[in-house]
Amino acid sequence: MKNWKLIFIVSLLVISQMLAACAPATPAPTEEPEAPAEPTAVPSPTPIPEPIEITLWAQATVTEAGAPPEDWVAYQIILDELNIDLTYVIVPTGEDGEAKINAAAAANDLPDLFQVVSAKNDSRGALLQLVDLGLIAPVEDLMPLMPERAKLHYNDPLALDLVTFYDHQYGLPEPPPIPRREGLVIRKDWLDNLALRTPTTPEELFKVAKAFTEQDPDGNGKDDTYGFGGFLNGQGLGTRFDFLMGAYGVPGVWNFTDPAAFGLNVRSPEYPEAVAYFKSLVDAKVIDPDWATLKRDDFRARWKQGTFGIMWEDFAALTNKSNYEPFDTNFPEAEWIPVAAPVGPTGASNYGVYTGRGQIFAVSQKAADAGKAEAIASLLEWMATDGYYLLGFGEEGVNYIIDANGNISTEGLADADKYTAAERQPFTQMRNQLIFYNSEQEIVARYPEYKTLNGRTMQPMTFLGFFQQQPWVDGRGIQVILPPANAADFDRFYTEGLIKFVLGQEELNDETWAAYLAGLDALGAADYEAAAKQALTDAGLLK
Amino acid sequence: MLRTKTRDAVIFQIGLAIFLTIILLIILIPFWRVIVTAFVPLDIYTDEGVPFFLPPTKWTFEAFSQLLGHSMFPRAALNSAIITLLGTAISLVLTVPLAYGLSTRNLTGRKVIMAIVLFTYLFSPGLIPVYLLITGMKLTNNYLAVILPPAVSVYNTLVMMSFFEGLPEELKEAARLDGANELQVLWHVILPLSKPILLTIGLFYAVFFWNEFFTPLLYLNDNSLLPLPVLLRNILISASFNEYVEYNAFSSSSIESLKAAGVLITMLPMLLVYPWIQRYFTKGALVGGVKE
Amino acid sequence: MTLKTLPAVPPSTEKFDFKKSLCALWRQRWMYFLMTPTLIYFAIFKYGPLWNAQIAFKDFKPLLGVMGSPWVGFKHFETFVNSFYFTDLMTNTIYFSLAKLVLGLPLAVICAIALHETWLVKYRAFVQTMIYLPHFLSWVIMFGVLLVILSPGNGLLNQVIEHFGGEPISFMTSPDHFRWVVILSDIWKETGWSTILYLAALLAISPDLYEAAAVDGASPMQRIWYISLPGIVPVIVLVTLLRMGHILEAGFNQIFVLYSVPVYSVGDILDTWVYRQGILQFQFSLATAVGFFKGVIGLVLILISNRIAKRVAGQSLF
Repeated sequence: MKNWKLIFIVSLLVISQMLAACAPATPAPTEEPEAPAEPTAVPSPTPIPEPIEITLWAQATVTEAGAPPEDWVAYQIILDELNIDLTYVIVPTGEDGEAKINAAAAANDLPDLFQVVSAKNDSRGALLQLVDLGLIAPVEDLMPLMPERAKLHYNDPLALDLVTFYDHQYGLPEPPPIPRREGLVIRKDWLDNLALRTPTTPEELFKVAKAFTEQDPDGNGKDDTYGFGGFLNGQGLGTRFDFLMGAYGVPGVWNFTDPAAFGLNVRSPEYPEAVAYFKSLVDAKVIDPDWATLKRDDFRARWKQGTFGIMWEDFAALTNKSNYEPFDTNFPEAEWIPVAAPVGPTGASNYGVYTGRGQIFAVSQKAADAGKAEAIASLLEWMATDGYYLLGFGEEGVNYIIDANGNISTEGLADADKYTAAERQPFTQMRNQLIFYNSEQEIVARYPEYKTLNGRTMQPMTFLGFFQQQPWVDGRGIQVILPPANAADFDRFYTEGLIKFVLGQEELNDETWAAYLAGLDALGAADYEAAAKQALTDAGLLK
Repeated sequence: MLRTKTRDAVIFQIGLAIFLTIILLIILIPFWRVIVTAFVPLDIYTDEGVPFFLPPTKWTFEAFSQLLGHSMFPRAALNSAIITLLGTAISLVLTVPLAYGLSTRNLTGRKVIMAIVLFTYLFSPGLIPVYLLITGMKLTNNYLAVILPPAVSVYNTLVMMSFFEGLPEELKEAARLDGANELQVLWHVILPLSKPILLTIGLFYAVFFWNEFFTPLLYLNDNSLLPLPVLLRNILISASFNEYVEYNAFSSSSIESLKAAGVLITMLPMLLVYPWIQRYFTKGALVGGVKE
Repeated sequence: MTLKTLPAVPPSTEKFDFKKSLCALWRQRWMYFLMTPTLIYFAIFKYGPLWNAQIAFKDFKPLLGVMGSPWVGFKHFETFVNSFYFTDLMTNTIYFSLAKLVLGLPLAVICAIALHETWLVKYRAFVQTMIYLPHFLSWVIMFGVLLVILSPGNGLLNQVIEHFGGEPISFMTSPDHFRWVVILSDIWKETGWSTILYLAALLAISPDLYEAAAVDGASPMQRIWYISLPGIVPVIVLVTLLRMGHILEAGFNQIFVLYSVPVYSVGDILDTWVYRQGILQFQFSLATAVGFFKGVIGLVLILISNRIAKRVAGQSLF
């Protein structure tokens, strides 16, 4: 029994020790790495003004890689050159990150500079809510303080318009990822094996998908393939099947194609036809039966395993070496080719809707009140000028070199030092959020050509070029449409209703469709549409 | 326990063994998959997904070595250990006296205290009110923000109370008649008899703190403070959220293997602790103590 | 049957000391002293947030703070109760909650008794360790495992179904099956873990009782029925009561990972709705109001079940 009590006493002692250790805000062991930096800072004779502390919250480019270490050279440079003591906090991905920022907002404890996080990809809406709560400082006065950054990053008048509320600019709209970057692709080797042509209409797509499902296109003697693959992403049937809905003239949630008839696409008489077509794919079992429950990574694992032959995918996710390599290893003779937007029965053809949504950064009112705004501007300007290569790629000659053509290269560098190496990812975590702006040099560096295992040349930019030339709908106006007050209920009814039709849980006929529309109206669809129309008109986006 | 090997008893034992084996199989078959997933090499994974059976010759520790080699791993593991040990200790020290007090049925004001405690069980204030309190106390970036709000679980307290109630009243009375005060009764009589429940509740608390990821995400900003589950969560969910990045932090394992390996790594300390706890579970702890 | 006369449970005879004099308080001073730190803890960390939870009745504005925000009465409660899917959400939540309790608890008790009774000591230690492992799998991992077992394409279970000539079932997206997926996967994951508690309770039963039973020649079943079960009734009653208090918590983490649009009608629960509508839409007051609502329902249920438990099992919380 003594033994037992001893444990209890020891644990009490441990607690008191630990409590004592916890009392200072930061625990001791983390201070060691800073030691070597001391000598450079100490001998400066001239009195330097107290460094300005800036806290930056942003998501990471490669979440799983973690944050840069505390002795990261950039922190020291920022301190020396800008007299800023930067604290860089990585905000978690997805809803966790949104909860973190929203909680900080509720406590009026927002960081100085932060990325407006929205799991539903509606940063503008989230920004407006923060503005309405009085937590965000206007930034128009900061723009002249960062001329180079404004030129490279904040150069889209529409994007600036969209972060302007009540005559003040409240957000810093970072350039969106390359627009119109996703597209429809098909397994060329499967087409060849079955002697089929590239489909150009929904009917042909159906036939090819059926053949892919039933005629063993990979010739492995097993019934283990499907025509289509995909997953639900966004409202309704998601953005990944808009090429199908587009063939019926109804891509996306909103009808941006006909300004006169602006409203929800489900109102148009073609919509139930498109749903019926989609349903026919499900009924014929030519689409991966898990599509409605898959998550993005499951979906990507499946195309690498050769589960299906027709899909909608991001050009970089499909063609960039790191993601394509596993597929290439499994199927060296396989080839994905881009497919043009299918043309529907009435001649309609829309690839998808591009929204031009990018990251938005904001400065908290608290930071402005503390007089930190100018320092924040100088930091952002530095990131776009002197700090650009350091934060985007690393140190020249160590992590990257610039070759004779002016391109970023890693030739002759040690493997672990290359900016592309796994070990280097913590050091360039800011790149996709704050640094990159889609320059020629970046694009060449990010999407390089390479040879596949069977010697083909893979050109990511060719895919991108093909996708971009397709008939996309300009849906940038969607950013000004604010969710209705009962968003959770409306979204659920809207999405659930469509999925039920597609999966056959609800019969699709004129009567049930009318009932579906009536249900939407009961949830305030008409008001929602009117408010959306008003917002678009006010923003000058409905011509 | 006495073991009289009557025919009935033997048949009963055979039935028990069969029952336990069925339960074991139901648990192990899906679990086996998680294990295989952690060890499947990238080329096999991308070729056919996770096979149900993989010859051990093809197993690879790649996912484990990548996780263990992660620059943040040692620090995160240490942080987790600190949070778990500190949290469990604080929790037990706060829970035991309350449970003991509530188990004393004739304590004046017991019903009031019970009502106060139960009220907090029923009405959970939710994320924002707790966050406001923690930031108001300037506890952000401090382990105490993670440890203190959940430190006393009403559920665990009441379970412990129910065990204390089950202890023979005569023992306490005897000690009291000998002139012992309540502190001494708790120390000399109750605690020695309560090993199984103290270990059980301690385990509940420890596992809770060990697995906690949301409050560290919320309250700890300094990267060097983050515990293991946050690191693993970043790996777990990033693949389903991130649209696409050009280079991977982990190139030679599938994300599925990393997820599974991460889970197995987090289980390991608890797997090591449990047999030690089991020793106390099987000795018939209670009466051994009384007879001493 | 002498067994019947055994004191099944320590009798809940409440010895009320009616001399509530200062003397009694003084005698109990050590007890209060012991409890003081915990009660102070409760005041700060449990009642502090509850004080802040008044935002449920306010239109909370961060700049105005908790105290400065204007009162709006029951506005947020009305929004919630009048919301389109209110009945759906309540039904699903209570369904999951009760099913997990009614199916999960007896299974855990049976497993605990089986482990307690077996003579195979080494095997018991092994089984015990194995069955509590699933508790450590996060639901994100569980989704992957379930997909592999239940997928209509090549899932293990569906391969078995097809082998016997059945049609593959898409368990994860079919409203007819999704609830069972939720309930059974929860039982699979948590039963082993909750066994620990009942096992601890079984170990607290005095071996004298078992010895007496053996002397009387009781069969194994009689032993379980007259000694083991009564010995753990207090814990079972307690767990049931506490679970009734949290009846409107049906496992947010689980549902959030497992559900998808096709099964919203049978899968969406209060907490997932609050998450979509409250936290992600900045409606903090609404989220807090739903928390209060859950508390009120829990309070009513725990009072009722406490009374029932008192009458039926002679056990109660208060």
